[in-house]
This record gives sequence, structure tokens and C-alpha cells, in this order.
Amino acid sequence: MTTATLAPPAITARNVSRSFGDVKAVVNATLTVPQGSVTALIGPNGCGKTTLMLMLAGLLRPDGGEIVVDGHSPVTNSGAVRNAIGWMPDQLGSWDNLTCLQTLTLMGQAYREKKEYARQRGLGLLKLVHLEEFADRPTRVLSRGQKQRLSLARALIHDPSVLLLDEPANGLDPRSRVELRQLVRELAAGGKTILVSSHVLSELDEMVDGAIFMSKGATLGEDADAMVADAKTRYRVEALDLAALAASLGRQGIDHEDLDGGAIVRVADEAQAAALLASLVKDGVPVHRFGPAGSALEQTYMLMNEERR
Amino acid sequence: MTTTETLEAPATTASDSIKGNPWHPTFRGVALATRIELLRRRPSKKGYLVYGITVALIVGLGILVAVSSDEKLNSNPMELVMILVLGAGMLIGPSLSATSINGDSSEGVLAPLQMSRLSAADLALGKLFASWAVCFAALLTTTPFLLYAFSKSGWHFDEMLWVLGVILFVVLAFTAMGLAWSSIAARSVASVSLTHITSGILGLGTLLIFAFSMPLVSEQQTVTYWDHDYEQATEEDWSDPNFSPSQLPCVPTESTEMVTHTDKLAWLLLINPAVVVVETAPVIDVETFQADGRAAPGVFAFLHQGVSEARSEPIVERNFCEAGGQGMTWDEQQRAMGLVKPNPWPGIALAGGILVASMAIVVQRLRVPYKKLRVGTRVA
Repeated sequence: MTTATLAPPAITARNVSRSFGDVKAVVNATLTVPQGSVTALIGPNGCGKTTLMLMLAGLLRPDGGEIVVDGHSPVTNSGAVRNAIGWMPDQLGSWDNLTCLQTLTLMGQAYREKKEYARQRGLGLLKLVHLEEFADRPTRVLSRGQKQRLSLARALIHDPSVLLLDEPANGLDPRSRVELRQLVRELAAGGKTILVSSHVLSELDEMVDGAIFMSKGATLGEDADAMVADAKTRYRVEALDLAALAASLGRQGIDHEDLDGGAIVRVADEAQAAALLASLVKDGVPVHRFGPAGSALEQTYMLMNEERR
Repeated sequence: MTTTETLEAPATTASDSIKGNPWHPTFRGVALATRIELLRRRPSKKGYLVYGITVALIVGLGILVAVSSDEKLNSNPMELVMILVLGAGMLIGPSLSATSINGDSSEGVLAPLQMSRLSAADLALGKLFASWAVCFAALLTTTPFLLYAFSKSGWHFDEMLWVLGVILFVVLAFTAMGLAWSSIAARSVASVSLTHITSGILGLGTLLIFAFSMPLVSEQQTVTYWDHDYEQATEEDWSDPNFSPSQLPCVPTESTEMVTHTDKLAWLLLINPAVVVVETAPVIDVETFQADGRAAPGVFAFLHQGVSEARSEPIVERNFCEAGGQGMTWDEQQRAMGLVKPNPWPGIALAGGILVASMAIVVQRLRVPYKKLRVGTRVA
């Protein structure tokens, strides 16, 4: 977690577990999601992300542990939790013969909104997710990506304070992914708390304030946080003259890992990165590429000693 | 997806706050869930065609029966339409409801509604009423013919309403049963099969079990037949035009026969949906129907007489004498059976039990957070 706030966390889970018969889907999940933050939930297929999200959403009862969402327990007060949560499932279900606007209006009414208000809000949300031209067309004509966007609009229909997005970028074209990223950041800026699971780690890097890694049904906690923090310090420098690069780094006392065409160095922050680049250029090193070594989340994910199930 | 400034937050009030895990129904929630279900299950053109053919068949058969009778009053057309409406309802309603929950679940449209403010009972009752409403619509479509048939039936208006009410109630119960199977079985094909098997057991199975169980309740018993002692008549008697066999003494003859105690099995008939409807119909007296302003006993009266016979103790004393002897004559027996007070209540009680138990199962299966999941299903 990188966002610190004095407000109580929007989501906390402690030692949560859930089994389906012999299959232990979630063994021990502990997490805290601060209010107004965007947090990624990352892990391989079958590691328990969706099961954990269902428990947070109040759809599935945990076998053990405690969950609090927006100040309420989904087990004992699921009504209040459901009211606070907007949930975008990974399964793209829609009422095929109803129009997009009908779908959103009816969903709004299901959250006790008045019909005309729900309709107006539905129109606004369709505009927000760029589906306004499909307002009066049945949802069966939508592509997968468009259904994904309709699903997001549906999750927002009652203006929830917490959003749970399960694989929201699946099926989206590159432009829609960028727009999704911007929208998520805007929603967070507006005070919403967002927990997003995704496999598109490069997208998450620019979207999230923090990340929770899961493996074999358990959250990895501080170890993963340390790995992400370490990954963020790794910068890749590529130069036309490798000897000059090595010499300059050596003179500055900077440890580095050699790699094909350059080196990996560690910098504390962006200011130090800028200073290093300036010093290399001043030293006459012909630098042609300088930047983060890659997605911090992706590096951490790959570094995790993971056995796919 | 670039701005949120055009969107206002929905207004919430203190009365909107929720506590606990509400599952109970509200009028508003049930109405909305029904509307959603009716909208999304709106029949396609092919669906309307099938419904149209079904209604046309019902009305067509009724008209055929009506025109084939030249009697002034005839209750058969209306009785036929009622049985056909019951049959169509028991096919259409459960067929729709039997895919309503597992179908929605596999299409991924159930969980988003469970996440909303709609409660488990809102969803359950909404789905029930929506499927049932289609059957109600089928009944309404037959209204013009039904009213015509009623005008010829000799029934009273309240009697017709009572029978139609019972038909709709039985269809409602079977629709709920389909919904329950849909909440239990993971796949639609399984729930539809189980629904039709259950309907078949109650509709046809009860009659078959009744018939095949008769040997189990049969026993050798002495039966007394009263008849004139024809052996006492001489040849002169037979040639005398004024001679009547009633002048002969009425004497008993005993024989040991296999007697079936159908009264022990009659409950199987009384829970049959068609028998429930028959037992709801008015009783017609075969001797006074004209004076009563009724039509001659029709199919329902004939079936009621049969059911009443099955409900009665076996007749071990029969009187074939024109005068004298003991026990009722054949005609007296038939009339008495036709006048037995109908008993639709076991069937209505069973339908009520099915309705309540099914809806309890459905509400329990729709309540979130889920404790257990159906084998082979995902929440979303």
C-alpha cells in the first residue's frame, strides 16, 4: 500500500478463508484498502481472486476471518454492503433482449432509484462509457468490449462508494483500456475506493496506488510490498558505448547489473533518476534509452515463486 | 470514459439505510422483479406463434364440442376448455420457471440482481409471478370463448370463478415447483426434466399408481345380490301379459368375490390436479338437473361420480329387484355417488404445500451471502 490516509480503510479483511468441498479457494487473505485509493488484486488463474472479491461483495460467506466494507460486515449486514458496493463481475451477463438504457434504468430501480432518475443517470453513464449510440439497441448487439463497458456502467448506477472490478480490461481495445484507466483514476479522485483485479499488469501499473498479490489462496502481504517497492527502483540504462557506461557508473559508485546493451541500476526516486541521467550525459556516455526497467507489478509477479494451479 | 462531472449521486435518505441480511419481499421489489422477468422473457415471434397455436387448439376443440351438441345447455365445452387451460398452464408455467434461476445464473445475470436492493424473496416471487402471468394471459386469451361456453353450461358465475381460481392456484404451485428445481439443479436441462417428471408423477403417475395398486387393497369378501327368484315363475306366468317379475319374491344370493377397497387409495385420485378441478365443479343431480336450470351431467359430473365411488366403501350388497330387497339399486347408487360432496381440499392442500415448500427452497437458495453453492456452479 502506498496511499496513506487518516480515514478508516474502505475495505479490510483479516485471515479470510473459504473452501468449496475439498478445494481450498482462499486459505488466508488479509488486506486493507484505503478510502479513495485504487488497489490491484493480482495473482495467477485459480489463486482465489474472484472468490475473495465475492466474499468482499457479500455474495459468498467466508468460512473464517473478518471482513469489513464501508464500516459493515458482509456476513451480518450484507444489505448495507451491497448498497455501498458497485460490482463488475468477470462474467459478462446482460439481458439480451433489453436495450442498454432499459438495463441501466431497471438496475437503478433495483437500487430503489426512481424510474426517471435512473433513466437519466443511465443516459449519463452510457455517455461516460461511450455507449450512448447503443442506448436504444438491445444488448445482444454489443461486442465483448462494449458489454464490458456496459457492465462498468451498471456497477456505477447507484453511485457506490466502493467499486470491485473483476478483470475490467478483458476484451477492451487499446483505446478503451486507456479510457478505463483514466476513468478509474477520476472515480478515485472523486472519493471512490476501487479494488481491481486484472492480468494486464502493465495497465495496472499506471492505474493503481497499491497492489495486493495472491498466491495459492493467500495474500502475500509485506513481502510482496517490498518486492514492488524494490521493482520500482530498478531503472534500465542503454548506451551505444557500454564501456563508457560501465566506467561512468563505476566512477559514481553506483552498483549495476550488466545486461545486453546496457545495465540495470537502482535509484531511490525520480529526482535521483534525473540526476543520474544528467551525470551520465555529462560524462559523455552516449545514452539512447533510460527509464524504469518495466512494470513493477509485472516484475514482482514474475519474481513470485509461483506454482500455477 | 473521460469525465464523471455530469453524473449526480443518487439521493439517499435515512429510510433507505439497510440493516442485517434482508430477505423478505416488498411490494415494490416484487413488482420490479416481475417486470424485469416479463421484459427479458418476452416471447420471440416463434414464441408468440406457439402460444397462438396453443390457444387456437383450446378454443378450436371447445367450439368443436359446442357445435357437435344440439342440446340447449351443455357444460362439456366449458369443462373441456378448463381442463385444457389447466394442462397448458401446467406445461407452460413450469417450463418457463424451470430455467429461471439456473439459466440466469449461467448467463451471468442473476448475481448482479442479487447484489442490488432486491431481496431473495423479491426475486423469487417476481420470477414466480412472471412465469405464472404467461399462463394467466393464456387463460385471458380464451375468455371470449369461455364466456360463451359458460352461457351454455348451466353453471353459476361464482362456480366458474371458483374453478378458474383453483386452476390458477394449481398452476401457480406447479410453477413454483419448477422454480424450486431451477434453484436446486445446476443445469437447465436437469431442472426442466425434473419439473416435468414431477408434474407427470402428480398428473399421470397418481392415476397409474392407483390402478396398479388395486391388487394390494383387494380381498376375498362375501357379496350379497338381491334379485327376484325367477325360478319360481312358471311357464304360465311368462305367457301371462299381466305378469311382472316384480311379483316374484326378492331373495338374496351370496357369493365370495374379490372386492377392492379403493377407498384406501382414493387419496391418490384426490391429489391429481385434474381431479382437483373436477372436484371443484358444481354437483349436478341427474334427476333434477332440468328443474335446477342445469345442463345434463357432463364429463366433470361423470368423473366426480367415479371418484366418489372410489372414495366409498366397497358395495357388498346390490339390489337388482324392482321391488323389495335390501341395498340400493344401480340407478340409486349412481345418483348417490354423483351427489357425494366433492372434496377438492386434499389436492388444494397439496398444491399449497408444494407452493410454500418450493418458495421456501427458492428463497433459501437465492439468499446471499451464499453458504453453500450448487455443485458445478459459480456465483458469477
